[in-house]
Parts: sequence; C-alpha cells; structure tokens
Amino acid sequence: MTDIADTKIDPNWAWQAYHPSEKAPWDMRRVGHLYRRAAFGAAVGELEKALKDGPEKTIESLLQGGPKQEEYDQVSQQMERSIADSNNGVQLRAWWLHRMLYSPHPLQEKMTLFWHNHFATSNAKVQNARFMLGQYDLMCQYALGDFSALLSKMSRNPAMLIWLDGRDSKKGNANENYGRELMELFSLGIGHYSENDVREAARAFTGWEIKDNAALFNTSRHDDGEKTVLGQTGKWKGDDIVRICLEQKSAPGFIAAKLYRFLVSEDGAPELIEPLAEQFRKSGYDFGALVKTVLSSNLFFSDQAYRKRIKSPVDFALGIIRGLEGHIGTSALVPVLEQLGQNVFYPPSVKGWDGGPTWLNGQTLLFRQNLALALTSTEDPRFSARTDPAALALKVHKKTDDEVLDFLLTLFLQNDVPDESRARLREYQQHAHKQTAPVYWTEEEAADHRVRALCHLVLTLPEYQLS
Amino acid sequence: MSQNRRDFLKLTSAGVTALGLNMPAFLSRAAALAPASDKPGGKDTILVVVEFTGGNDGLNMVVPYNDDNYKKARPTLAISASQVKKINDQIGLHPGMDGLAELLQDNALCVLQGVGYPTPTESHFRAMDIWQTAAPDDTLTEGWIGNALKHMPATPSFHLKTSNEKSPLAMEGAPVRVPSISTLEEFQLQTAAANGADKKNQREVIEGAVKPKAGAGLLQFVEKTAADTYASSRRLQEIGKNYQPKATYPNTPLATRLKLAAQLIDADLGARIFYVSIDGFDTHAAQATAHANLMTQVSGAMTAFFKDLAARGHRDRILMMTFSEFGRRVKENGSKGTDHGTAAPMLLVGGKVKAGPVGKHPDLADLNMGNLKYGTDFRRVYATILDQWLGVSSKDVLGGKYEPVEILKG
Repeated sequence: MTDIADTKIDPNWAWQAYHPSEKAPWDMRRVGHLYRRAAFGAAVGELEKALKDGPEKTIESLLQGGPKQEEYDQVSQQMERSIADSNNGVQLRAWWLHRMLYSPHPLQEKMTLFWHNHFATSNAKVQNARFMLGQYDLMCQYALGDFSALLSKMSRNPAMLIWLDGRDSKKGNANENYGRELMELFSLGIGHYSENDVREAARAFTGWEIKDNAALFNTSRHDDGEKTVLGQTGKWKGDDIVRICLEQKSAPGFIAAKLYRFLVSEDGAPELIEPLAEQFRKSGYDFGALVKTVLSSNLFFSDQAYRKRIKSPVDFALGIIRGLEGHIGTSALVPVLEQLGQNVFYPPSVKGWDGGPTWLNGQTLLFRQNLALALTSTEDPRFSARTDPAALALKVHKKTDDEVLDFLLTLFLQNDVPDESRARLREYQQHAHKQTAPVYWTEEEAADHRVRALCHLVLTLPEYQLS
Repeated sequence: MSQNRRDFLKLTSAGVTALGLNMPAFLSRAAALAPASDKPGGKDTILVVVEFTGGNDGLNMVVPYNDDNYKKARPTLAISASQVKKINDQIGLHPGMDGLAELLQDNALCVLQGVGYPTPTESHFRAMDIWQTAAPDDTLTEGWIGNALKHMPATPSFHLKTSNEKSPLAMEGAPVRVPSISTLEEFQLQTAAANGADKKNQREVIEGAVKPKAGAGLLQFVEKTAADTYASSRRLQEIGKNYQPKATYPNTPLATRLKLAAQLIDADLGARIFYVSIDGFDTHAAQATAHANLMTQVSGAMTAFFKDLAARGHRDRILMMTFSEFGRRVKENGSKGTDHGTAAPMLLVGGKVKAGPVGKHPDLADLNMGNLKYGTDFRRVYATILDQWLGVSSKDVLGGKYEPVEILKG
C-alpha cells in the first residue's frame, strides 16, 4: 500500500474516516486487514460480503455484531454456570476460545481480550473459575463501553480482589498492591503518581471482602479517614480514587496508546496518540467510540498499520480455523495455545503478555508451523477432518491448480505475497502431480492431499505471521 | 503532551528493544554477544535438573560409613567402609557410583550434605510440590524454574519425559510453555508428504520463502527467526542421525534422555534449562538391590552426559543438580527397606562446581522423630544457582533473600 508517503503523518488526516480512493481502494487486502484486527480472521464468504458492502457498513456490523447473538449467549451462559460449579480450568479456557471462534460478535471478544491483557488477572492465583468468568463478563459487557465504569467495577471485582490482594486489605493494615497497579498499569502509567499517592489510595480501597461468591463492603474494615491522593484531599473511597485517576492528564493517553498498539501498530508516533487521547477524554471515556474512530480511520487502512503487528498465538490459530470454516472442539486448542505462549485466563504476570516480537522464537515459530500442519492435514487426532482445506476447496468449486492456489492465497493472505513465493508454490503443485502417491490412495485422495499440503505451505509463509 | 509522548515511548520500548536484540540472540547463539560462562549471569550457562522421584535414601547415597549410629540403624542395609567410593574418611558414595567418584577426582562433583527445610512433610505429593515451587508454606501453581524463565526472555528449555510423564510443576508459569519431549522428531519442522521427494519439495518451499534481508521491519524479524528455526531444525535432524557421543551412554532410560539433552545442547538452540526425572526411589521393602540399581543408573547416565559434553567443549557451561522430595528414615524398617524421611544430600556436577563435600553431614545422634535434621535450606541452593549460574535475581524468582551456598567456584 503506497497511499501515503514516508514523511510525517498529519494527525488530522490520520483519524479522519477512510474513504476508498484510487490510491487506497477498498480491496481484499483492506478487508482481510480489518478482519484480522477487529475479529479473529474471516471465512471467504465474510470477506466477499465485506468487499461488496464497503468499509462503512462492514465496520458498523463489526461494532454491532451479527445476528443470533442472544441465542448464542444463552447456550454460552448455560456452559458458564456449569464451568463455574465444577471450577474446571481447562473448560474455562475452551469456553472462551469457543466464543472467540463462534460468537456472532467477534469484535466484542477481541476487545474483551484487550481488557484481559490490560487487567491481566490469572487463574493461577485466583483458582476460581466462577470469579474468572465473573471478571470476563464484566470486561465483555464493557468491551466497547464506558471505561470509567469498567475501571470502577473492576476495583471491586472478586477475581481482582484476590489477584491483587484487595480482600486482605483493611484499616490500619492496607495492602498496596491494587492501589499501585491501578495507577501504574490500569490508568496512569509509571511516573505520573508518587509512592505516597499509592499508600493513600490503598487506604481508600480498604474494606472489601468476598462473601457468598460476591464482593462485600465491610464498613468496619474500611479506613474512613482523610486521604490525599494526586493532590485531592477527602475521606475518599475506592470510587473516588478511580475518579481522581481518570481526571489526570496522563490517563486518556495511557489507554489510547495501548489501544493504538493493539489495533494499529507495534510502533507509532506520540503525536498520533494525542488526538485519540483528546477524543477519549472529551467523550467521558467512551471506549466504543474510540475503537470506532480507530477502525474507521485513514491510518488504520494505511501501510502504517497493514502487517505492522505480529500475530498473537490466538490470532494465528483461530485465523486458520475461521478461514477453513472448521468446527472444532476448542479444548484441543487449550494446550496448543499454552505451548505457543498465550494461555488465556492465565497471563504470565500483572503486565499481561509482552506480545509483539516476543511471541516468536525458535520454539514457538516451529510449533506454529507444526500447528498449521495439524490443522490442515486432517490426520491429526486433535482436529481430524474438521478443518479440511480440501473439503473447503470442493465446497467453493475450486478445482484446477490455479484456482486452488489463488483461492488459498486470497483467503489467508489476500494474494499479497511476493511473486517468488507464488512461483515456488506453483512449482510445488507441478511437482506434486508427478509424485507417486502411495498405491492405496485413490486419485481423489491424492488430489485432496495436494490441496492440504499446499494449504500448509501457504500458512508457513512469513507474511502469515503478520497481522 | 510530553507526558503522552513519554507514555507512548515506554509502552513501545519493550517491543523495540526486542526487535533490536532478540534477533541474533536466541537461536544461533552469537558467541560475541554472550558473556562468558565464568561471569555471573553468563548467558550461555546450562542447568540440568535431575529429579529422583519417590524419596531417595540419601544415607545410602552419601554413606557415613564410619558412624556407629549408621551401622546400628541399618543392620541389613548399611554399606561398609570397604564397599563405598570414599569421599573422605567419614563419607563415601554408594558403591554403584563409580562414575561419579571419577568425576569427583576430576573436580566436577560437589556433594552438598543435609539439605532440607523447616517443618518438613513426609507426603510424597506435598513434599514434591514444595521442592518444585520453593514454597513450603504456600500452595502455588507455578514452579521455581517457570518463574525464572519469566526473567529469561526467549530462552528455550525442555522437559525430557518418559512416555506418559506429566510436565513438572517446577516448570509451570513459564511465559512460553516448556515442551515435554521424548524424541528429537518432536522438535522438528513437520510436513505431511506423500513420500521422501515430496517432503524435500515441501521443505524447499517452506525454507525458500524465507530470505532474510537487512532491515528492522517486522517481516525481516519473522524471516530471521524462521531462518534460524529451520536451520536448527535441520541441524537437529542431522544430529539425530549422526550424533556420535564422545562418551559411552549406558543403555538406560535416564541415559537415553540425557543423551537427547546433549544433542539439543550440541545443536546450539540456545536452550539453557533441561529437566529430567527418574522414578523408583520409594524403597519401603527390599531396598538394597533396587536402590543399588538406581544409584548405578544415575551415576552412569550423569557421568556419560557430562563426559560427552565436556569432550565437546561444554565442560564449563554445564551444571547438573539432583534432588528428591525427601530422604528416608535413618532406621531401616522390618522389610529391609526404609520409610519416608527428611533431609538428604544433593549432587551437583559441572566444570564450575566446588568439588568435594559441602556442608556438614547431619548428626545421626541428633534426630527429630527418627529423621535427620537439615543443615542447608534448599531455597539457598536455588538462590545460588539463580544468582550465580543463571544470572536471574533470586529475590524476584523466590520472593525472598537467601544466603548463598558455596557450591560454585568463585
């Protein structure tokens, strides 16, 4: 994409709504890009529909979610109750992966994952599926909503009260863990508060307990004295501290920069964050509106964003399954994602996942390529034929070598690969025809095998590691 | 405005640093970048943990052969002065440990005596959890090695398992799950090929797509990582076929797995932590033969592994550490076996260990409910290894400060 020069980007232009033009047409590349960032990849039908609908309508439908959400949620909630009752950590993870793959509202799941990385609570410490699900529900409800409400409710969320020791915090013996992370990781960033602010804030959060699976405010454990936090003095309670934090100049920019990294690029210029921060502040922390601005923007559809992120393990694995229109049991994905380094509900630390280039090393890249094989070969017992490129090619009537190659490259990479790579794949197809297949294969089986092998090769292209 | 600028820089600096530094570091270990292993925090030191599962009888591994209390407590199991491999005039190694005795002569074996912790449990499961999490007072779900790996970004590590063995709790919590493998094939780039020629073609496509060019972009980063990955995968394949050990590995499961570790080390993947375990130490009855077998296996496998790697020039990069969830009761039981106990010795093998015995042998006349009292808290050993060998702050990993033990040469 060469719609903008390498020179400095005009921040006004950056966040104005993108309108297709000759230089920046609404093409498959932009559609694929949108579905990688705002969802977990897409099936060919979704890509084609979006291409026809245009950006505005497509983004709107991503923000609203598709039909039959209520029906899906009803079934999902039944599962949720049973996982909470059995406190089953594997099912807990499989359940969310199912939502990411099959919920009619993938953007909501994607942004819930954003908040999960932000509040980074691990069941390794919480050890309670019910509370983890409760926190999930909270983040999902506000995934595209009011950040100040989310932050305020998070401060008394049972999983959080365990994760950052709020339930052990009482008058005269305040635990500073939550007060510190609220400022350092959840709202302001390091350098924008003093150690004394942390101590005083911790006093304001005293008194919360967990009773009968819910947070309970115990007045007798609360320190109701005066506290001075970030220059404001009063008999503050937790909600006051959240309000005070969000009144700070650094708060909107801190969240906006994190969203920028999540949706736009691993790298970016601060002057581009400022207009976003300003909008976020003016809107009273309307996060959904902020997401909409970013997804609709010129910058989002420019080469400043295109393939400017490394796919997370979730994006990598789920993108293949969605592309292949697979219907899998998601518990098979739980150990896979753990192996790739993104074990949802179990982030590695309070900072969440470092992400970016740290996703990839000699182990994880190898496991990604071997996972791509497991998902395309139909011979892996975990996924068997439920994700089958050959069946998909048949369904969309792609038969000749050219048709199949073009289809797979469009589906997964929107045909944006170096000519050399395409030529090499083409050459492989020709070789493959000449291979002697095992004698017990029918001709049809040999043809299917060629499609599956080709699909695996397409997924191992380095471009596929980029989002 | 400047605040926003600073925020943003902070947010992205981790990624930018990783872009710049991660690339050369993790697969093809760039010797120039890696500090020498004799410096604290050396970046290419290797730790191999050997778990003795079931509760090893430390008294018959490091034998106080001159102690009358020992002979009295072990009427049928005591090992005599003439049988032991003498360490000094008080203690000696189990007679089956001739290999390790040789390593002692070679200044590559440290015998750390009387290791334990306050208020020990005699439950296998709880005790094993305590050793693996380094937390006698808490129930944790993450282990000490997993926590250490959080501070060792992009460092591959391996659990070498027998067929059905679960990944050890010690390695839980690592930012990237530590793979449990039992063959080299599991760590190779796989294809679903119709035949050998097809496989070759497929690998050519996969590897041909990667042509790292100069530059700092994300695609270049992916290509560099992929090129390194494929190269080491190929190297492993070659090594699997052609590996010529420079020492004779006994034909035992433990030796086979340690040989696998040696291959992974020699393939230069940058892996730094290996974990292997050997079961069968719960010797409640007819201990003598069973324990002798185990001692022979342990000694043979560890010795072969060390000699093999030493001959390949890795002598000073290797540190092996043994542990068991507990030792055994001093007095033998009526079935010519021993029941669960407490403190026990740990063995450390490597080119940089302080050779010989370290710490005092527990006093057999001063027991607690028939059990040995510990002299060295095992968390001090972990802390020493973390700080002085792996170059990771033990305070961050263990959540407390522990006095170092003199197990490594200064």
